[in-house]
Amino acid sequence: MPLDTSTYSLALLRVDGRRWNELRRLHAQIRTQAAADGSSYLEMGHTKVMCVVTGPSEPGPRRGGGIGGGAGGQSKDAEVVVNIVIAGFSSVDRKRRGRGDKRTQEMQSTVANALAASLHTHLFPHSQINVSLHVLSQDGSLLAALINAATLACVDAGIPMTDYVAACTAGSTSTYAANDESADPLLDLNHQEEQELPSLTVATLGDSDRVVVLVCESRVQISRLEGMLAVGVDGCKQVRELLDRVVREKGQRMILEGTVEKGTGLNDLD
Amino acid sequence: MPITIHPPKPPRPLISDNLPSDDSDSDSDTSIGGVDLGLPPKKRLTQFTSSPYTGIVTPGEIITPDPQWMRGHGTYIPPQTTDITSSLAGTITRTNKLISVRPLRARYTPEVGDLVVGRIVEVQAKRWRVDVGSTQLASLPLSAINLPGGILRKRTETDELQIRTFFAEGDLLVAEVQQLFQDGGAVLHTRSLKYGKLRNGAFVAVSGMGGGGGVVRSRRQAWTMEGANGAGQIDVCLGVNGYVWISKHVETPAELEGGGKTAAGITNMEENVSATMYSSQNDKVDTETMREIARLRGVITALVENGLRVDEEMLNRGYHEAVEMAMVDWNGPDDIYLGGERGEMLAAALTGK
Repeated sequence: MPLDTSTYSLALLRVDGRRWNELRRLHAQIRTQAAADGSSYLEMGHTKVMCVVTGPSEPGPRRGGGIGGGAGGQSKDAEVVVNIVIAGFSSVDRKRRGRGDKRTQEMQSTVANALAASLHTHLFPHSQINVSLHVLSQDGSLLAALINAATLACVDAGIPMTDYVAACTAGSTSTYAANDESADPLLDLNHQEEQELPSLTVATLGDSDRVVVLVCESRVQISRLEGMLAVGVDGCKQVRELLDRVVREKGQRMILEGTVEKGTGLNDLD
Repeated sequence: MPITIHPPKPPRPLISDNLPSDDSDSDSDTSIGGVDLGLPPKKRLTQFTSSPYTGIVTPGEIITPDPQWMRGHGTYIPPQTTDITSSLAGTITRTNKLISVRPLRARYTPEVGDLVVGRIVEVQAKRWRVDVGSTQLASLPLSAINLPGGILRKRTETDELQIRTFFAEGDLLVAEVQQLFQDGGAVLHTRSLKYGKLRNGAFVAVSGMGGGGGVVRSRRQAWTMEGANGAGQIDVCLGVNGYVWISKHVETPAELEGGGKTAAGITNMEENVSATMYSSQNDKVDTETMREIARLRGVITALVENGLRVDEEMLNRGYHEAVEMAMVDWNGPDDIYLGGERGEMLAAALTGK
C-alpha cells in the first residue's frame, strides 16, 4: 500500500497530523513487575514494549538464543544478554517469528551493544545482566522503543550507567527515487511512514551528541543524511528528557511515601 | 474554522513540574525551527537548578563539578573533567567529603558481618555455592561450617567425600558473611550455633537492601516471638539480603538443660553439634503454629507490598495488628490472608493514617 506522501507539501502535516519535528506521545512506567530486579513499560505512539531486567546475577547454564554484548561469562565485565520476543498479535498481519529470526537477532545484538556501551559492566565481574523485551504492539520505531524500554528497566534495576541511552528514528519526506531536493527531515516515524520513506534509527548517550546506535536499512541520498541525523539526535535529547521525568516522578513518589529516605542535598553540605 | 490538533495529554504528573526543559509536547509554531546544532549540551547541575525533584539524581546528572569532593558508590567522573556524575537513580548521601548515590532499588551487596539467609545451588569438591540474592553466588567452604562431633575438629577427607550429607542442593541455611573478595563475591561461615541449616518453617523473599522497603540492617535480625491463638514460639530470621525465614522455635540442647549451665561455652559445644544439626527432616509442627507462621509471612508480604520497611519493631506491631484484625472480622480460615485490601488496612493501621 503506497503512502500518499504528496499531501505533506500542502499543509506540512504528516499522515497522523504531526509536524516534521514532533515526537509521538511517549508514555512510560517503571517498576511494573514487583518480582523483577528492574522492569519498564514504554509506549511510543502505538508501539508498545515491555522490558524486564534480571541481574546482575550469576550466569546460568549457557543457552543459545541470547546475543552477548560483552565477552564470556567468566570475564572481568558483566555480560549483557538481550532477548526479544515479538508477540504474534503485535502487528497488522499475524506473522510467526521463531527464536532464530534474523531480524530479531540483529535487534538483540544492537540493543545489547547499546546497553553495554553505557552500563558500567566492569563493576560486576563474572555476572550476567539479562534483558528480556516483549513487543506487544508495533507501529514503527520498534528498535528505538526497545532501546528506550531497556534503558528504563536498567535504571530501575539500579545498574550503574554512564547516562541514559535514548533512541528515536528520523526519516526524510521524499523517497530515494523521487530525487526531490527540497525534502524535509522527519522525526519519529510511524509504521506507515517507515514503509514508504527512507529512515534511520539513532541512539545517543544522554544529551551529549555521542551516538551509540545508528541503523539505516533503506536507501537514502547522502545529502539528506546529515539533516536526518541532526533531527534524530535532537529527538533523542527530547526522549531522554521524557525518560528522565518518568524516573524522577517515580523516585519522588517513593520519597513522599517514605519508602526511600530523603537524601542530603549538596546545598546543605559544609 | 481552522482545525487545531491537540497532542494527546500525558497522564498528569504527581508533582507539579516546572522542569527547566523545553516542552516537547508544545504545539506552538515557534519551535518549528527545531534543531539547533552547535550549541554545547546543557549542563544539569543539582546544586544550582531549582528542580522540583529535590534529593533525586538520575544517571548522567552532574552532582558537583567541585573537585573538593570524593567520588563514592553510584558515581563516576567522566574523563577529562572533575564533575562528579551520578550513575544511578537514587538519593545522594554524604559521609564527610565522600559523595555517594544510594539507588532507589538494587541487588543486595554483601558486607562483612551481615546475617544472610541463602539457598545452596551448587555443591563443589570443598565448598558450596549459595544464592544470597547478590550479583554473584556466595561461597561456603567446608572448613567454615560446624562439623558434627566437635566444633574444633579438623576437616578430613571423609568430610569432603560426604559433603552432601551436610548441605545438598536446595537446602536453606542462615550464615554470616565472613569475607569479601575484591570483585564483590562473598564467603560465608556458619561457625556458630545460631547459624546452620533451616527447617520447620517457611521462606519469604523480599527485596533486600538498596531501598524500596524490604529488610534493613538493624540491631537484631533474628529473634523469637510468641505465637498468638495457642501457637508455640516462632523464630524469625530476617536476612539482610531480603531472604526471610519464619519457623517453629526449637529448643537447643543448651536451653533444654535449663539455666543450670551458663551459656553454652566452647567446651560443651561439642555435644550440642549433634547429627540432627544437618538433618533435613522437619520436626512435628502443630497446626496452630503453622497458621501463625503463615500469618507472619502474610504480614511481611503486606509490609513489602505497601512499601514499608521490614524490621523487628514493624513485624511485631504488624503481627499484633494482624491478629487483632483476624479477631475483629472473623471470616473463617481466610483470616490469615493479608493481601490486597486487608494488606492495605494493615499498612494503614501501622502507619497511623
